Amino acid sequence: MSTQYNIPVGAQHISLLEPLHFKFTTENEKIIKTEANVGYVHRGIEQACCSKFKFRQVSFVVGRVCGLCSISHTTCYSQVAEKLLKLDIPKRAKYLRMLVIELDRIHSHLLCLSHVAENSGFEALFMKTMRHREFSMELLEAVCGNRIQYDFSIIGGVARDLRTDVAQSILDKFKIFRPQLDELVDIYKTNWSLSLKNKGIGVLSKEDAIRLNVVGPFARASGLGVDVRNETEELLPWKEVGFEIITDTAGDVHARNMVRLKEIYVSMKIIENIINGLPEGDLISDTKAFPEGEAVNRIEAPRGELFYYAKGNKTQVLERLKIKAPTFSNIPAMVETFTNNEYASVPAIIGSYDPCLSCTSR
Amino acid sequence: MALNKFRTKSPWILHYNAGSCNGCDIEILACLAPKYDIERFGMINTGNPKQSDIMLVTGPVTKRSRERLVDIYSQMPEPKVVIACGSCGCSGGVFRGMYNCEGGIDQYIPVDVYVPGCGCRPEQIIAGVVEALAILEKKTKDMEGSVKLHNDPIEQDGQTNRREVAAVI
Repeated sequence: MSTQYNIPVGAQHISLLEPLHFKFTTENEKIIKTEANVGYVHRGIEQACCSKFKFRQVSFVVGRVCGLCSISHTTCYSQVAEKLLKLDIPKRAKYLRMLVIELDRIHSHLLCLSHVAENSGFEALFMKTMRHREFSMELLEAVCGNRIQYDFSIIGGVARDLRTDVAQSILDKFKIFRPQLDELVDIYKTNWSLSLKNKGIGVLSKEDAIRLNVVGPFARASGLGVDVRNETEELLPWKEVGFEIITDTAGDVHARNMVRLKEIYVSMKIIENIINGLPEGDLISDTKAFPEGEAVNRIEAPRGELFYYAKGNKTQVLERLKIKAPTFSNIPAMVETFTNNEYASVPAIIGSYDPCLSCTSR
Repeated sequence: MALNKFRTKSPWILHYNAGSCNGCDIEILACLAPKYDIERFGMINTGNPKQSDIMLVTGPVTKRSRERLVDIYSQMPEPKVVIACGSCGCSGGVFRGMYNCEGGIDQYIPVDVYVPGCGCRPEQIIAGVVEALAILEKKTKDMEGSVKLHNDPIEQDGQTNRREVAAVI
């Protein structure tokens, strides 16, 4: 047996956006064991939501759980609160929520792809992807009023209407973006130097994906077709606006890139359908009731299934709020997928997981 | 000195997330990207505290990340400037009073520039960094001003003892 070395990565590292600590045990450059430590960003949001904030304020607080998928958090909380209040929301509000969720997915996926490119050592592709990503931030600012932390979903509906000129500008910018995305797909798919760092690296088989309960693009790249948008219809009508599931079979970093790129096409199709068929009506339906009983809700965040549980007791303050974020489900698979890969490919693999630690530890 | 010129013309930044929601972090990343392009001020994102001049910190300091924050700060060479990005980095923001948050970066390390906003816009970050450049220049001048010694070094036990020498800037 050759010598084993322990190599720590994190909590502060150039390839990490967030404090995340991995301890690798390596043997001849090959990783044989990994330990993950993810609790650096625990802030105590769940406890504060049940004691400090009233239930109508909580939708703004849970948006601050994560800056990348804040619309998923606010929408999921709003839906679970609407279940407690027994409130039906207008159809226009549902469509606008879907619109912003999909715009958010575009910017999140492009950020992840650029991060993979940077961590693979392809700085020029990072810059190119980030340049093409800016249009989605501009659109989010035009629709919601802020580049990140758009408190768009509130209990009962949405906070802002979609102006017709903004809707037109979304369609116009998509026309510019589509050839740029085609070019990006071409680079990510066929670039030889990128494929050295991506193809066959960090493979997760379908059996392992089922066994380790993986969600999101990570699972879909392994051939496991799990998507909440495919399963739930009653709260947000995904099928109506042309959702289709994207899967790949290889399960490596390259397959994850491909799944994310193809999902951007689906998101663009959904947004175009929403804008072309946006129903008229109110933006918000209000009630004076207080939350009562228990409810759960699921939604597909850019990283996978987001789960909320809430319990109310007919007062202004919730009794319990539980958030289970997608990355939390993926940690066991993340730790296992490193095994038998070279230490040099670790940054690219971490990037391809698209981990969101502030979601995980709340 | 030539080094000073390069330091102000090309400061290297270090980014640390002390429990933020990622919002300000992706805006810092957007600053490095072509649209806002912070590199035209000569800035490069480094992962190494020992090579950095400007530290960009986001987030309310959580109890687990505060030791790392102080550790990284103390590893940076003088002169150094700290920029607190985002509302929660400045004061704790929405997380102020939560049981695992300390409420602001200035509770633990000295902050020179505060960038407000939730999340802070790239334009604001660039304005904060440009302000930090002036502070960096001033700190460099202060450091290299003429130093007057309180006491002369004394001969003790056959060798020069400089322990009692205190400097006044």
